[in-house]
Amino acid sequence: MEALDSLLHGFGVLLTFHNMLLMLVGICLGILVGVLPGLGGPNGVAILLPLTFTMDPTSAIVLLSCIYWGALFGGAITSILFNIPGEAWSVATTFDGYPMAQKGQAAEALTAAFTASFFGSIAAVMLITFLAPWIATFALRFGPPEFFAVYLLTFCSFVGLGKEARHKIVISLALGFLLAAVGMDTVSGELRMTFGSVEMLRGFDFLVAVIGLFGISEILLAMEEHLAFKGQEAKIRLSVVWRTWLTLPRYWVTLLRSSAIGCWLGVTPGGAIAASFMGYNLAKRFSRDGANFGKGKIEGVLAPETAAHAAGTSALLPMLALGIPGSGTAAVLLGGLMVWGLQPGPLLFVEQKDFVWGLIASMYLGNIAGLIIVLATVPLFASVLRVPFATIAPMIIVSCAIGAFAVQNAMFDIWLMLGFGVVGYLFKKTGIPLAPMTLALVLGDKAEDAFRQSMIGLDGGLGIFWSNKLVGTITTLALVMLFWPLIGKLIDLARGSGRHEPAGAAGSGSSRA
Amino acid sequence: MLKSFVAKRAALLTACVTACLGIGAPAMAAWQPTKPIEIIVPAGAGGASDQMARMMQAAIQNNKLSPTPIVVTLKGGANGGEGLMDMLASAGDPYKMVISNSAIYTLPLANKLPFDWRKLTPVSILAFDNFVLWVNAGSPYKTTQDFVEAVKKEPAGAFKLGGTGSKREDHILAAAVERIAGVKFSYIPYKSGGEAATQLVGDHIKVNVNNPSENVAVWRAGQVRALCVFDTEPMNYPAKVTADQSWKDIPTCKSQGIDFQWIMLRGVFLPSGVTPDQVAFYQDLLGKLVQTTEFKDYLEKQALKPSDLKGAEMVKFLEKDEALYKDLMTQSGFVATN
Amino acid sequence: MSDGPHADLDPALVSTRSVELAVMALLLCLAIFLGWDNWRLGAGWAPDGPQPGYFPFYLAVLLGGASLWGIAAALRSEELREEIFVGRSAFGRVLRVFLPTIGFVLLVQLIGLYVASFVFIAAFMVFVGRLAVWKSLLTGFVFSALMFYVFDVQFNVLMPKGPLEAAFGF
Repeated sequence: MEALDSLLHGFGVLLTFHNMLLMLVGICLGILVGVLPGLGGPNGVAILLPLTFTMDPTSAIVLLSCIYWGALFGGAITSILFNIPGEAWSVATTFDGYPMAQKGQAAEALTAAFTASFFGSIAAVMLITFLAPWIATFALRFGPPEFFAVYLLTFCSFVGLGKEARHKIVISLALGFLLAAVGMDTVSGELRMTFGSVEMLRGFDFLVAVIGLFGISEILLAMEEHLAFKGQEAKIRLSVVWRTWLTLPRYWVTLLRSSAIGCWLGVTPGGAIAASFMGYNLAKRFSRDGANFGKGKIEGVLAPETAAHAAGTSALLPMLALGIPGSGTAAVLLGGLMVWGLQPGPLLFVEQKDFVWGLIASMYLGNIAGLIIVLATVPLFASVLRVPFATIAPMIIVSCAIGAFAVQNAMFDIWLMLGFGVVGYLFKKTGIPLAPMTLALVLGDKAEDAFRQSMIGLDGGLGIFWSNKLVGTITTLALVMLFWPLIGKLIDLARGSGRHEPAGAAGSGSSRA
Repeated sequence: MLKSFVAKRAALLTACVTACLGIGAPAMAAWQPTKPIEIIVPAGAGGASDQMARMMQAAIQNNKLSPTPIVVTLKGGANGGEGLMDMLASAGDPYKMVISNSAIYTLPLANKLPFDWRKLTPVSILAFDNFVLWVNAGSPYKTTQDFVEAVKKEPAGAFKLGGTGSKREDHILAAAVERIAGVKFSYIPYKSGGEAATQLVGDHIKVNVNNPSENVAVWRAGQVRALCVFDTEPMNYPAKVTADQSWKDIPTCKSQGIDFQWIMLRGVFLPSGVTPDQVAFYQDLLGKLVQTTEFKDYLEKQALKPSDLKGAEMVKFLEKDEALYKDLMTQSGFVATN
Repeated sequence: MSDGPHADLDPALVSTRSVELAVMALLLCLAIFLGWDNWRLGAGWAPDGPQPGYFPFYLAVLLGGASLWGIAAALRSEELREEIFVGRSAFGRVLRVFLPTIGFVLLVQLIGLYVASFVFIAAFMVFVGRLAVWKSLLTGFVFSALMFYVFDVQFNVLMPKGPLEAAFGF
């Protein structure tokens, strides 16, 4: 097979001492930037880009892409240990990862997250290896209506999942959408809800909001309750890794489903963030034990991590094959390609075989090396929980402040983070869920842009969402998802079983989101 | 433990770069930077301004043109308004330069942003970017005339034209073409030129007016066709880019019946209140930059028009250019009135 | 529902119902304010699709409606009236971390991030954690120095700095 030959050639390019060393350095640096909140994949790669200017392109991309793999792995660490997503795509990992850590299963959660990441990445790399040309053309079929349909599907798979009171879910969603709309409106070019303030011009960055909503509020809550993070008694032994692995095969459906979602959303640039949410939602929806999601189920860690990494990896494909970045990090790498004198686009695969196949080979090796390195550090990271609260809490707050600042180099964002911390604390204690808000915050403006771009032109009308097979299928699927609970009931009725679930508890106590 | 290991590796890598920079800084200007210089990019990651900043960073560091490192900072909020306002607020700070494009005119006009380029210190214009009329390679339009005829036949607005942002250079150009050729498009604003390029290849839009650099990849792959360039003369790059065409082979739109010139500056500004010494340092730095092979390669790859406008000449150009923007935007109803 | 074993011993500061009412009222005000701003911008449906204010306006309406519902629900609920939102001593503990954090951010603005984080970490460990002074000072110093090395020196991410860093030429 031609792809296999090319891949072997790629390994040949890669297997020099120099490149292997760069790979290890890249992964370690990547884990570091992934762990530090705010300093995520795109920032990390951008910051280290200057180091590669003097290298040859293959070595440079090996170093930078390995930083990216490292960041993908590292993002899960703080999500699980402190409920602070190190990366935007690890928000969904906190939903079950942090409860697991609280139950003393931090090591299990970390192992699951890393292994799932690895699984997702490898699935995506295999896709890139064998189906690259076909996928590249598939991505071209996405216009505004298709993009909107994908976002709609993400939202619809999410609605109706929460156990919180309906009006509180609505509040959270609406608030997220409104915050996402602050700043410049793409379609009309107007400024919205900025009230003449310069600081509001840039809008609310997702990461700043998330660091505050999750990280700062968690410290406040931890302080209120026990003056400590829970889960200190976690038994930390490397054998945990092995034991966790033994339980993973039984979740093969979740792993495969999330990989498929991730690959698809990464290629179409729906992005790793949408993928992680959708992976989590679908796992919850189709799990026989869906009610226990959010209370520390290992499936709830596997699903988003697999999807996020499959998406993060496959997002590189449209960049290489079409010259369009599937993610923020890919956008920075794209800039790098040009600096090294390469022209991304359809001809890259033809003209720069060494580079392309070297990169693909580094995806395999980089992920294997990454998995080994992060697994070896599981005990190290899990033991961080043993550090006295009074020491770790201020350090976390300082890291959060650095992260919030680094996102957009703005002092105002540190204050904003603090504000979001208070909001997060109040919301968590009054039972307003945070997840819908974060989802709306990250995808809301994109969905709105896509919708309004679809409406422009003579064929603009709601019919456009069924104007061809592709968009029609996705839109219909989204509506099915939205009305799934209703459809489920109808099916039950038709069967005449008359089974009734207890009416979803509308209790709005102090249950945590 | 891990951290120190990582840091050591990083140190190893940077060692070369920093060592080279520390020594041998030529002492030519009276003022010399003593801490890192920030290049503010008022645009998103991967866009044309970002690429330019990265190229400058690479060229300056590889050729040791500055004694201190160069840092690229993205401030792309509100179509770059964030970066521009940050420059306004940084009066007297000689460690910040901004890469500017036509947003310096459009933002104050369309959004009433309290910004005026006269409140910054112009250093020099490094290049001008051209605009080209592109259609999908699969479409039947071989020439500009074919295309204009086809648009006229369809009902007004049947042709979708995609571009970067709303009320920005692409939108203004599209509106001008509409007036001159007597046609009507449906303008679809995207977030970036790259997006507009892919959407054209995917046939979601019929036409775009991207800069050469934004479409070059898909042009070389034979997925789009260049109809004409909005300049008074063809681009001066005779080397073949596609199988049978060079940038120079693209006719001017004037020769094709659309008499309109539209170019965009890519210039560098410092904040207000910097000393003449400091301006001299940057003019010297950029003067050396444009001589580097990195910069020349960059110009050719992106098919940019070289420029050496600085000082009073630059101000004169900016004033003329701004008046043109104001006139066109007023005609199209893009100027904020409320 | 009580939040911890000592919740019963901790006299209530405020009931969950009052807090929920306050949160909902704030959200309602926000909704009205944002709704008004977007109405001003144009919240109709033009020939080329929704105007810029369309979605935000109806979202604000949705937010307002949901918070009104929330107010009604909180007023009706007896359960919430008795539920303790936070006890006095628990709230005291929250303030013990929140107030220093505000102070820290203020310091960042005044004297730069690194000095502020040294002061914050050391002071927090001494006064809140009651840990040994030398340990606290050392931890604060090592952490701040490490952050400075990683961000400003190695990664060239420029953090807000103050007079101390300026004295060293940064």
